[in-house]
Amino acid sequence: MRNLLHDMNPAIKFITVTIAMLGLAFFFNPWTPLLFFFSILVLQLVFSRINWKLWSLFMLPFVIGAFGYLWTTIVFGAETGGTVIWSPFGYDMTDEQLALALSLSFRVLAFSSLSLLFALTTDPVKFVMSLMQQLKLSPKLAYGVLVGYQFLPVLKDEFFQIQQAHRLRGAAVEKSWWQRALGVRRVIIPMLAGAVRKAERSAFAMEARGFTGEPRTEFYRPVQIGKLDFVMSLVVLALFLGSCVCGMLLSG
Amino acid sequence: MQMHDTIFEMNNVSFRFPDDQSPTLSSISFTIERGERVAISGPSGSGKSTLLYLLNRLYPANCDGIVDGEIHLFDKPADCYSPGEINHRVATVFQDPDSQFCMPTVEEELAFTLENLNTPASEMEERIRHVLDITGLSHLRHVSIQTLSGGMKQRVATACALVMNPEVLLLDEPISHLDPYTGKEFILWLDQLQKTFNLTIIAVEHRLDYWETFFDREIKITSDGRISEDTIFKPHETLRYPLRLHSILDETVISATGLSVKMKGNTLLQPVSFHAQKGECIVIAGPNGSGKSTLVKAICGIYKKEAEKFSTDPCGYVPQSPEFLFLTSTVFDELAFGGTSSKLELDDLIESLRLTEIKEQNPFAVSHGQKRRVAIGAMLADKRNVLFLDEPTSGQDESALLELFRLIDSQLDQGDTVFIVTHDMEFAAAVADSVVLLKDGRMTGKFIADRVWQDEELLAAHNLMPPKGVKLRAESFA
Repeated sequence: MRNLLHDMNPAIKFITVTIAMLGLAFFFNPWTPLLFFFSILVLQLVFSRINWKLWSLFMLPFVIGAFGYLWTTIVFGAETGGTVIWSPFGYDMTDEQLALALSLSFRVLAFSSLSLLFALTTDPVKFVMSLMQQLKLSPKLAYGVLVGYQFLPVLKDEFFQIQQAHRLRGAAVEKSWWQRALGVRRVIIPMLAGAVRKAERSAFAMEARGFTGEPRTEFYRPVQIGKLDFVMSLVVLALFLGSCVCGMLLSG
Repeated sequence: MQMHDTIFEMNNVSFRFPDDQSPTLSSISFTIERGERVAISGPSGSGKSTLLYLLNRLYPANCDGIVDGEIHLFDKPADCYSPGEINHRVATVFQDPDSQFCMPTVEEELAFTLENLNTPASEMEERIRHVLDITGLSHLRHVSIQTLSGGMKQRVATACALVMNPEVLLLDEPISHLDPYTGKEFILWLDQLQKTFNLTIIAVEHRLDYWETFFDREIKITSDGRISEDTIFKPHETLRYPLRLHSILDETVISATGLSVKMKGNTLLQPVSFHAQKGECIVIAGPNGSGKSTLVKAICGIYKKEAEKFSTDPCGYVPQSPEFLFLTSTVFDELAFGGTSSKLELDDLIESLRLTEIKEQNPFAVSHGQKRRVAIGAMLADKRNVLFLDEPTSGQDESALLELFRLIDSQLDQGDTVFIVTHDMEFAAAVADSVVLLKDGRMTGKFIADRVWQDEELLAAHNLMPPKGVKLRAESFA
């Protein structure tokens, strides 16, 4: 039961999440995104085993962002009319402004939680394989992404080594953020030089093992599509539709 | 009588990269029969690898190279093969263990190879099981490739080649990124596999001394891309370095008592104590993960350290990839970056490191040996006269090793102190005054070099092989 979201076919999950996101963009009332946000939470509680601590950590910047939207829309929003409901510190806040502000910030929450639902329950390798098998993504692109993914830890390691070497030469003691940002450029150049060589070697190694980039016909571990994937997809979409209908009713 | 079964045939072949004026390979002619073990040798940049890539059809398609002459693969002109067609009969293992894989686990990597060949899914399971069984890698089946050691990665790469049931195995300097001990194990392992599969093996290699009697034929290529010799393989002698006189001066540059490194609650290096003198050459050796880099980085001040007593002259560090140090766009600026040396001192340094010709070039664009000299120059220009070289011998051919030897020798003569982290005990035996042995984050001790080379037990305990030349010398004295 709690594996369902993790086991769901990644391509189907991806399409479902994309549809929900696009759909959500058309609803400007505050209730729809709020209700959908809570539905996603419930969905994850019931059907997944995600690490909630990690989830909170990822959500934190979005929550801050959402609050920022709320605040700036109320304080700096254009005059829209409507009745003044509260006047703190000399600002007049109308009900329409509040509705718009809440709608914007709840959208941020809904979008980010939906993305996290996908990100935290999907294995990247399986996702790429599924894109290739179900959505006919070109193997050239798919395996290119996978090689890049394998390189990430190596690149991270190299990044720190180069940074250490530069620090030894007294080059990386910049304090302000923009100096540090400029300093990163110096680290990136040797890294890129190495990465280009590595990329060529990888390409050769893959070709030497018969990889031509042609669509393939046989898969060792085919990524399956079952009835359950469509059921899960329908559940998510039903929750979304439910949120839309309830949201419209509540906002009258 | 054995049937002659020709695998490859080259007839007066020359090859030129589209951007080059002169050909990389010219008038190459040879035939290779089934079951042969052929070594292709020659200096760096002689076109050895290019020759190999002509045999597995990576070239000319991947570089738009221009081929003249006839290349026959399995009695068919090379041009008749469509992309990927030849690759399951001619498999290749490359030199860099870190960039040969695209999948996370060993099993998935093998499956990737079989999928490329459109092997029916029902057969895959059996073929994967079989190849892992025969290569002795079954226990690694579900292991993440990135967590494996270099030696194991090369074995996995070989297994990926063998899972295609190839007739020929091409090896592109397969042990150049491995330490000699692991390299030797790999060669023994390969020897067994060749016999089991009756493979034809063609290897490009510049350190043939490690291969002992593995091959039965050697094709030598000159630096201008011609075959100079095609003979029966004779085991190669170890590279002989010139004799070095000790240059130790009576002045201490590093003195450490109870130096240890802790990181995030883990002790990476147990307390070590030692001294180093001016003009001394100290080799730091030990198995992978024994704390060699940790020790070096702690002394250089890259890692935080704890010590009862510690004093040192300014230390310079040259990483395995010297370009990690580079910050500017010309060799001269690179040396001048620290601003510690006067114009005159810089000119002297450039002269003595033979960098005059490349003074205005971009340090990223010069050869590997030159990069190392630039890096050393940058350190010396900052008045860091205690040098730490991290794995300077890895992947170097004979002339590069001799050049490195001379470079280190002349720095020592000028009173600099040189630390070298290396697995190459022949090189170590040629330069070292003393040897620091490390194991599991502990220092076994700092020994006088000549004593260590005689103590096979001590070396074996640290995954090191006794240097060959030294043993000979000891025998000849007796």
